[in-house]
Amino acid sequence: MDHSDALRLKATEKYLLNELDPEQLDQFEEHMFDCPECAVDVRAAAMFVEQSKAVLAEGRGPVAVKMMPAATSVWLNWLRPVFAAPALALLLLVVGYQNLVTYPKLHQAVNTPQVVPWAAVNVGVAGAETPQVSVAQGQSFQLLVRIPPEAGVTRYQAELLNPAGKQEWSLPIPVALDTDQKQDHFLLRVPGANWAPGTYILKVRGIGSTGENRDIGQTSVDVKIQ
Amino acid sequence: MQFQDFDEAYVERLRSGDFRTQEHFVTYFSELIQLKLRSRLRTPEAIEDVRQETFARVFDALRRAGAIRQPDRLGAFINSICNNVLLEHYRSKSRDHTDEPDPDLPDPVTDVLGIVAARQMQEKVRQILGALSDRDRRLIKAIFLDERDKDEVCAEFGVDRDYLRVLVHRAKQSFKSSYLKNIDRRPPGMTAAGRG
Repeated sequence: MDHSDALRLKATEKYLLNELDPEQLDQFEEHMFDCPECAVDVRAAAMFVEQSKAVLAEGRGPVAVKMMPAATSVWLNWLRPVFAAPALALLLLVVGYQNLVTYPKLHQAVNTPQVVPWAAVNVGVAGAETPQVSVAQGQSFQLLVRIPPEAGVTRYQAELLNPAGKQEWSLPIPVALDTDQKQDHFLLRVPGANWAPGTYILKVRGIGSTGENRDIGQTSVDVKIQ
Repeated sequence: MQFQDFDEAYVERLRSGDFRTQEHFVTYFSELIQLKLRSRLRTPEAIEDVRQETFARVFDALRRAGAIRQPDRLGAFINSICNNVLLEHYRSKSRDHTDEPDPDLPDPVTDVLGIVAARQMQEKVRQILGALSDRDRRLIKAIFLDERDKDEVCAEFGVDRDYLRVLVHRAKQSFKSSYLKNIDRRPPGMTAAGRG
């Protein structure tokens, strides 16, 4: 093997990678011992490999590494400045709008007198007509509920069933016991919900001081959507 | 240390016992012998035995007139002596050399200049590796540090063996100038940093 053979064969690289067959290995080594150029090539490459092993084995890693996208979660990309800065600016805009526009309007709405939809119902009394209440979707309304006083009842438990018979909510109603006349009217605020038009049932149970309970009665109200 | 062609004058200086020439001779060929032997012998002791025996026979030949007929082929002559010593080593051990444990060669760099040179070379290697793509860096790690099967690694990285050779070639070319600059700073008799 002469020098041009060694170059053509990429013998130095194959020697380092242990890719020469036994015959090529013998021939190249014989040449390498005679050829200063190949000798320095092999020695430089061997030194590079040895030092690379040392560098790659240590925690530090190489310097001047090209910018490569980190293999992090896509969600964490939001933390990168390119996303974080506009996101922060948007957040500030939203917070500013809420503080300067939305909250003052809500505050004003809460403090402004308004007419609240309502209906008066009697528990346990069958009436000729079912009371109606007209509400906007999501709007709350009030029920003025009359519950006939029952001896031994310390509180009531009211529950509202929607037209499908499913419970919308339930509410404990305390009874004032230290008055001469038992309370029988209660004003219930029914929170806004995604109303289904139809008849809602209000069921009331009475609960005694020892926890025993019994049905007091029920009433209904027709909810109409405005 | 200079990389030079060998001729009759060089052989004559060796024969006459010129100290500088002998130092250069031993340093230069020690590294080549160690590179050659490390894929064939697996213990530092065995490598050292064969290296010393090779030099002993070469110096013995130098003292005999006519033993070295082609001074310009001095390297090939040493290689053939080394091959003979290696064969005799195999025979004397009467066993497959692959049965021997992994070599754990000591770092021969013990002088300050050698350590500085080795550090500079390592820094150069770090820069070269840093300039590589992440894939190429992982490729080099998988082949040389992890010593994984090359075909398997190439398949995993979607490259062929030629890509690997070119990668080694380019890295070697980038490193060579730094290697040559630093190798001259090492005092005579010192071998390369790291293994063999």
